[in-house]
Amino acid sequence: MLILTSWLKEFVPFDVPVDTLAEDLTLAGLEVEGVESAFKGLKSVVVAKVLEVKTHPGASFLKICALDTGSGSKVEVVCGAPNVAQGQLVALARPGTILPDGTMVQTARIHGVESPGMLCSQAELGLGEDKAGIMVLDSFQGIAPGEGIIEALGLDDWILEIGITPNRPDCLSVIGIAREVAAIYGLPLMSLPGEDSVLEGVSLQGGLVPISIETPDLCRRYAAGIMEDIDIATSPVWLTRRLLASGIRPINNVVDVTNYVLLERGQPLHAFDLDRLNGPNINVRLARPGEEIVTLDGKRRELSPEILVIADRDRPVAVAGVMGGANSEVTDKTRSILIESAWFFPGQVRRAAKVLKVSTEASYRFERGVDPEGIPAALYRAMDLLSQMAGGQKKEVTDLYVRPFDAVHIELRPERANRLLGTSIEPDEMASILSKIGMEVGRCNSESIRAKAPSYRPDLKEEIDLVEEVARLHGFSNIPSRIPEASLISMHSEPGKIFGDKVKGILTCQGLSEIISYSFISPEEIEALRFGKEDPRSRWVRVKNPLSEDQSVLRTSLLPSLLGAVSRNFARRNLNLRLFELGTCFLDQGKERQPIEEQRVAGVWTGNRYPESWAWPDKSADFFDLKGVVEVLLRRLGVDPFRFRPGTPDDPFYMPGAGVCIQSHDGTTIGTMGQISPEILSRWDIDTQVFAFDLALKGLMDVSHDIIRFRPLAKFPSIGVDNAIIVSDSVYYQDIFGFIRSNGHEFLESVDVFDVYSGKPIPKNFKSLGIRFVYRAPDHTLSDKEVAEIHDPLLHKVLERFHGELRA
Amino acid sequence: MLERLEKIRSQALRAIEESGEEDLEAIRIKVLGRKGELTSILKSIGNLPVEERPRFGQLANKFKKEIEAALKRRKAQFASEGRVRQIKGFDPTLPGRRYHVGRLHPVSLMMGEVCSVFERMGFSVVQGPEVELDFYNFEALNIPPDHPARDMQDTFYIDDKVLLRTHTSPIQVRTMEKISPPLRIIAPGKVYRCDSDVTHTPMFHQVEGLMVDRSISFADLKGILTYFVQEIFDKDTAVRFRPSFFPFTEPSAEVDIQCVICRGNGCRVCSHTGWLEVLGAGLVHPAVFRHVGYDPEQYSGFAFGLGIERITMLRYGVDDIRLFYDNDLRFLEQF
Repeated sequence: MLILTSWLKEFVPFDVPVDTLAEDLTLAGLEVEGVESAFKGLKSVVVAKVLEVKTHPGASFLKICALDTGSGSKVEVVCGAPNVAQGQLVALARPGTILPDGTMVQTARIHGVESPGMLCSQAELGLGEDKAGIMVLDSFQGIAPGEGIIEALGLDDWILEIGITPNRPDCLSVIGIAREVAAIYGLPLMSLPGEDSVLEGVSLQGGLVPISIETPDLCRRYAAGIMEDIDIATSPVWLTRRLLASGIRPINNVVDVTNYVLLERGQPLHAFDLDRLNGPNINVRLARPGEEIVTLDGKRRELSPEILVIADRDRPVAVAGVMGGANSEVTDKTRSILIESAWFFPGQVRRAAKVLKVSTEASYRFERGVDPEGIPAALYRAMDLLSQMAGGQKKEVTDLYVRPFDAVHIELRPERANRLLGTSIEPDEMASILSKIGMEVGRCNSESIRAKAPSYRPDLKEEIDLVEEVARLHGFSNIPSRIPEASLISMHSEPGKIFGDKVKGILTCQGLSEIISYSFISPEEIEALRFGKEDPRSRWVRVKNPLSEDQSVLRTSLLPSLLGAVSRNFARRNLNLRLFELGTCFLDQGKERQPIEEQRVAGVWTGNRYPESWAWPDKSADFFDLKGVVEVLLRRLGVDPFRFRPGTPDDPFYMPGAGVCIQSHDGTTIGTMGQISPEILSRWDIDTQVFAFDLALKGLMDVSHDIIRFRPLAKFPSIGVDNAIIVSDSVYYQDIFGFIRSNGHEFLESVDVFDVYSGKPIPKNFKSLGIRFVYRAPDHTLSDKEVAEIHDPLLHKVLERFHGELRA
Repeated sequence: MLERLEKIRSQALRAIEESGEEDLEAIRIKVLGRKGELTSILKSIGNLPVEERPRFGQLANKFKKEIEAALKRRKAQFASEGRVRQIKGFDPTLPGRRYHVGRLHPVSLMMGEVCSVFERMGFSVVQGPEVELDFYNFEALNIPPDHPARDMQDTFYIDDKVLLRTHTSPIQVRTMEKISPPLRIIAPGKVYRCDSDVTHTPMFHQVEGLMVDRSISFADLKGILTYFVQEIFDKDTAVRFRPSFFPFTEPSAEVDIQCVICRGNGCRVCSHTGWLEVLGAGLVHPAVFRHVGYDPEQYSGFAFGLGIERITMLRYGVDDIRLFYDNDLRFLEQF
């Protein structure tokens, strides 16, 4: 909302600098977002002295004026004003000036003579009504050529840009802000125009235009004023200047007056051309099926029965509270008008504006609630202005008030207010604050204050609303600041959050950096992962109003996010990446149901194994680099035992044979890892190896037991036995390991592989595995003989089971 | 004898002067060792005439002390010079063999810090769904359908009843439905609004806080949030509360902090106001309490919400919010 301070001063006599006003309004809850001089467009208008006036050689009705602009040099401009004369002090608008009507002054060539600027009339500068000739400044004392016009004339008017919260429709007007200013500074409010209007000789009985309201719940009040003998013309400068400063374009005097009253009182008005209303009559009703209207913006709109309209005898002539119709628009030919001042149900106007996808100054105010008691005053104010400015005759006023306003009486308990605020404000002071904002305070004692809310404050409904008013005007800065006395509460933080943080910590320790990506992706990115039809991840949740198709569905997997990040980093030559993301995936559950939100953690590794440095070998990372990360993660989370099941994992995006399922002890799959297949990577323009893992956080949490049980340190030494065995290269180590573990003696402490080799002299399609067996007894030192007695049969069994032989 | 003694002394002193560090011990042994030159001379003192013995003895002892001192000096000299000496082929100034260490995303870092300030004050972390029901996101928070306050947040809808949450405030309601007062929670998470430019991303992070007890006041809200701001920024950061409007709190406040860039003098970041808006807060509206079955006469509380990206940007000087979701390694590795 743009507010002109000079306009504000008509209603409240405040006398503080504009910056102070801005700050005080902000601290009272009316956030001033900007302060600008109302004359900022006139920055390059200067005082000039007319040195000489010559007739234009090419046009006798024009003059060429030589001017002293204070800089010593002469400027010559072309001027058509009859009153320009040598020796005058005048206002020269130099190129770059923006006049109040929006015209930008430029150097012009007029009948062959260049004119670097123009001399201005009072009206052109927005400083008065005189447009007959240029403004002569001789009567101003002590001004000199070259001086800026703003300083020279002491032009002091400001435009405040104020952010009005949705609860304060009353502040969407100059008078509303004036009320606030009066309350803040304890100043009286001047009498408001329209409230003492003279209605002598005006019919209040109705009859010229019958009015009916079919939907009293949606339109509690409808007032109409009829005026005749209107002369449509442009509005006076003082009025257009105020409209322009408030961001509204002037059209003609009738439309301008309705807009002026809207700005002044916050009550939207609409003027119909009476002669174009069929009947003429006015009916407030819901639209009928099939009806349509061309609105003032020239758009043809289909109306549905949920939209409230103003209709004449035959057809809709306006969408109630939103916009008028072209069929009854005021034009240059208009002579008689009907001005509407009404109250429409806020939710109704909002729905209509949403359906028609339009928001107007009127709908914005109706949606928030206009003052039902202020409706006649706004109408009278408009009629007064039009009879002054457009020669209109007031003929008739009809005011249908079908659902009268019930004043809201609210009780405020001072003790409760002080308890909620942490203050000790006296009840008298509270009562005084309430009367400042226009409440009628009735009973007032230390237990209770009863007060009646004004009709323009729909936000005042219950006690807490008054507590807020007291706090606001007492000043938030006058409320003390303290640390609460509170009960001791023991409540655990969300286990998922704690677990997730732990996972992040373990992964960053291992060199992976965290990324965070948008939850929405392109559907085509999900398709690219080739989930099977039965896979819930193939069905996504679509956003109804996405910003773009690329962000139109919720991700069902973290992989597209990670591959997207890899791709963007590659484009910037960041080629060595270890990234992970912990976030939500969304699985569709059908219409009007929330999707399942699954927390997952996934990571990728591509590029080098080690940092690029003289100190490290230059090697690409492989499957086992990432597998190590996953193993450490699982161990540290207490997921033990776990296994990697080779073969075809559930995820179709790994290269065949290069993906594994990660399973807990009972065979439950908690995730997958492997090398992403190149065809899938090509979707992201990645042409190098990428290894990835993907784990469900919930699944991990279910199998993680982070209870640490201390095991006593061994007292006796161990004996290690190394064997290299040759087996077919299709045998998985994991199977050998499992066989050894389940067949090993209780003294077999650990089994690990220390070497893997294939190639000469190992036969083709075979590999050699170097396996270390470590034996230890808890109660004595083992002898070599003892170890041989338990190890040899085991080794024999292993060779037999896997058709292997010992490597010589 | 005297000449020999004098010669031993001068030779020893010169040898020490010219020695390398590893020669010192050999010199000591050669001169002062059990079979050393000086030791032998001292042993042979018995061969001298009785009257010469004291003078000779004194002189020999003086020389011995002199040589010992010279050795000690030289050794100390080596010790202090030792640092500049090289082992052939070893360059200790080469960069170390650094392991790669991953980083947390800056939003995670800041989120962690914010949560930990409140956890120290007994707040517990809770979470809620990102895809919410209209009811929890709006209605239960005193924002009925067709309320203009819905315009304050541009909403991504899934369908008529389901939407992407526009704030973390629904978690307040979900928690209060489950737990009876008193309570103290903090709820971090992702939120969504259809808005995208230099200062807005369609997804961002918020932290919601809620404290309900028997006598919580606006003064407590001021105290807690001032403490929070001063923990996150610094102890001298001024905090300003000004009235505002949120349908689910009343009185409602916007919380401004003194601009951390210009210290309140006015700069581009704070639009020359000296203040930065970082938090929205207020006392829980009685209508919200009634929705969840809390008695507003018995209990009062405050709630607040803050945008994590905003304070992360202020804290680290990041000037474009979109960098957070671009995930460029050069960005991520700075935190």
